[in-house]
Amino acid sequence: MTVLLAGIGLLLALTTLLLLAQTSQSSEQFDRLSGITLLVNAVGIVVLFILLVGNLARLVQDLRRHVPGAKLKGRMVAMFIGLAVLPLLLVYYFSAQFLNRGIDSWFTEDVEQGLEDALELSRAALGIQMRTNLNLTLRFADAAETMSEPALVSELVRMRRETGAVEVTVFASNSRIVATSLDRSRVSVPTTPTDEMLLQVAQGRPYVSLDPLEGGGYQVRTAAPMQADVRSGGRYVVQALYPVTQRLAAMADSVGDSYTNYKRQLYLREPLKRTLTLTLTVVLLVSLLASIYGAFFFSRRLVAPIQQLVAGTRAVAAGDFDTQLPQPSRDEIGFLVSSFNDMTRRLAAAREEARDSQAQVEAERANLEVILARLSTGVVSLEPDLRIRTANQAAGAILGVDLESRIGELLPEVAKGHPLLEQFVDVARVHVLAGENEWREQIILRGDVGRRVLTCACTNLPAEDGHTSGFVVVFDDITALLQAQRDAAWGEVARRLAHEIKNPLTPIQLSAERLRQKYLRGMAPNEAQVLDRATHTIVQQVEAMKEMVNAFSEYARTPDMDMTRFDLNRLVREVIELYRAQDTTVDLTLDLDNELPPVDADAGRVRQILHNLVRNAVEALEGQEDGAIDIITRAEQHSGATLATITVEDNGPGFQAGPVEQIFDPYVTSKPKGTGLGLAIVKKLVEEHAGSIYAENRRGGGARIRISLPVDEASREIIVSALPRRGEQRRERA
Amino acid sequence: MSVPGAQGSSIGGYRLAVLVTLLCLSWLPLAAQEDEGSVAIRSASADLVDGVYRVEARLQYVLSDNALDALDSGVPINVELELQVIKARRFWLDDVTAELEVNYQLLFNALSRRYVVRNLNTGEQDSFATLYSALNNLGRITSLPVIDAALLEDDGTYRIRMRAIVDVKDFPAALRLIAFWRDDWRLTSDWYEWQLAP
Repeated sequence: MTVLLAGIGLLLALTTLLLLAQTSQSSEQFDRLSGITLLVNAVGIVVLFILLVGNLARLVQDLRRHVPGAKLKGRMVAMFIGLAVLPLLLVYYFSAQFLNRGIDSWFTEDVEQGLEDALELSRAALGIQMRTNLNLTLRFADAAETMSEPALVSELVRMRRETGAVEVTVFASNSRIVATSLDRSRVSVPTTPTDEMLLQVAQGRPYVSLDPLEGGGYQVRTAAPMQADVRSGGRYVVQALYPVTQRLAAMADSVGDSYTNYKRQLYLREPLKRTLTLTLTVVLLVSLLASIYGAFFFSRRLVAPIQQLVAGTRAVAAGDFDTQLPQPSRDEIGFLVSSFNDMTRRLAAAREEARDSQAQVEAERANLEVILARLSTGVVSLEPDLRIRTANQAAGAILGVDLESRIGELLPEVAKGHPLLEQFVDVARVHVLAGENEWREQIILRGDVGRRVLTCACTNLPAEDGHTSGFVVVFDDITALLQAQRDAAWGEVARRLAHEIKNPLTPIQLSAERLRQKYLRGMAPNEAQVLDRATHTIVQQVEAMKEMVNAFSEYARTPDMDMTRFDLNRLVREVIELYRAQDTTVDLTLDLDNELPPVDADAGRVRQILHNLVRNAVEALEGQEDGAIDIITRAEQHSGATLATITVEDNGPGFQAGPVEQIFDPYVTSKPKGTGLGLAIVKKLVEEHAGSIYAENRRGGGARIRISLPVDEASREIIVSALPRRGEQRRERA
Repeated sequence: MSVPGAQGSSIGGYRLAVLVTLLCLSWLPLAAQEDEGSVAIRSASADLVDGVYRVEARLQYVLSDNALDALDSGVPINVELELQVIKARRFWLDDVTAELEVNYQLLFNALSRRYVVRNLNTGEQDSFATLYSALNNLGRITSLPVIDAALLEDDGTYRIRMRAIVDVKDFPAALRLIAFWRDDWRLTSDWYEWQLAP
């Protein structure tokens, strides 16, 4: 805006200056334009002045506010002004001096005097002619004093021809032409007498004057009074006009013009000086203001990119890498600006890349988290001071503490009150304190529910400086796996026993009986008694061995499931009735749930389960006076599945101290009698129904075994699909 | 209203600049008034002679000392007579039917020491021994034809107005600037106006 204004102002000022120079050549143009020219010049100067003061005020303000680049701009403006103004002022001063001196030098006393003398000389020369001409006229006036009018005319002609006059005319006192003689080649009509001439002649004095002519040159006008005019009472007047010789006239003109010009210039000297000085001043002002404005303008132009660079640098420092500066020019500053732009572009690209890789890392981290969360293996990462860094869901489930919600806390602190985790931490701490970087151990944790076996692997996270930045502990609950392995081993043992031992038993028994039949009757009574006892013992023991091998083979046997729907309560009643009939010392109590729905299961297997459980309880109560067994059935809802639970409680000695789970292993028994396979078979049968079994000692003494079976196929599906996700159940299932 | 920021400051700056400029301008000396000359029209009339309106007028010229000095120094003085025949119109601006400009030049001939009055329109010139006679001659307008009566509408109402302007035109180029600023280089009479008798 202001640049445009300044440009217009400057253009106007320059144009008008040119106009000023042009128009001074001719008066007409000048009259028309001088006013506008001066006005426009003045307006131009005023506009430039306003712009300058405005610029200066802004610069001062910028300096006070410490605007970046203001100092540089101030210095540049001062430098530019110094460069422009000093020469201008010098030129102005010397121009004004030369102008005044030059004008003064035109005028010298000598020239003036010479011109005046020349003028006087011309006047003298012309004066001689004037006097001569006047004398001629006077002589004619004398001669014609007494002449009549007709004679006068011929005398006029003669006299004009003799004297070389242009015109001789006799006027009456009322300016009436009495007689005239004209040089027809020069004038056509008689010249009118002038007032001053008539006045002078009327006073009786002859008149002579040097009249300038229209086209240059002079003529001498003479007049003299003549005889009295009888008619008007005045006097006749003779007027004679004489030419001045061409040569004399030219010279007189030249002298006159020179003198006039000189006088005129002398007179106009001071105004001329003033005018020229004024013009010079106007030119100076316009140039001065324009150059100062130019100083501001170019300083601003030069400083602007630097200011932008400063602003851009600040923006980059503040983290805004999208700053792009406008390219000002192709010079060094332009190069600087393009370098800056390059830098910000690269910075922006680098930031973008960093952002991308960060996002990638985040995504991978999220993936990992998902994987870790779905993993059945517990993963915990720890700081070197055992503070929890991360932990997945499985870790919490295995260790019985919600570790995910305790991230950032010290693991030993978290472990307080959680026995499983406490044992885990104790083991881990030993390794950490020993400075082991990598270790692997199978940990056995003992809790309320039972023994847990964990395989645990730990590795340290190396930091950049080679030190440890933390640990990752990976552990898996292999209790169930071990159990399964043990079950499989026992199954194999049972099968082998059944196969390898059972076969020779029958020949042994048969051989023993043959010995007895063949030799018993023929032997002496005392010898026969020995044989009888020995063979009886052999047969009896073989029978016992057979029983044992049968039990083993039953354990190893897996016949097909025969699933039917039946009333569990009725089955329980039937089994209990059998025991009530056999043994009356134990008090059998039923607590059956009438709401229990019919159960889809292999009735034979369930009957065997019940038999084994009740027999187990009855055997445990052997020899006890107040033995009592409670059998309780219930229907339970568990995460959408309907379960039928059967609980068998006794008030006997209970399970031996130690891992409760191990009672389901073969040959774990607390009783003097029994194969040790009863509960192992129960567990196997329950698990074939996708059910679960749980054994514990009662608070008041005695044992409690609780089994739960899904009532139908849908419930079974739910239980089976839910099992892998829940550590507790999965462990029971195996 | 003050606006914060650079924009506001620059506006403030320009306001200050304008103020300073006005202050500076107020110090410019106004054109000094010196010995004044004058030009006035004493009387004027128009007579119908042979179907042409001719103006008779008497003017009085008093030249300022400055103008007199200029004249004596050989600077010619121009006298311009402006005549306008104006037709009065109802409900409308008056119409200038005819305009006439007569230019005279008054100068001093140093050699003959005579004042020359030259009619620039016709080229005629007279010379006078005294300035008084010359000005007198200039101030006596006789039988100046203005307009042919045939050019005027019969039922129109016309008036003539006249004024005289004395100025110095033939300055050397550089001097015109000064002349422009000085009032006494240019004298203008008031308009002298009279009804044109049919």
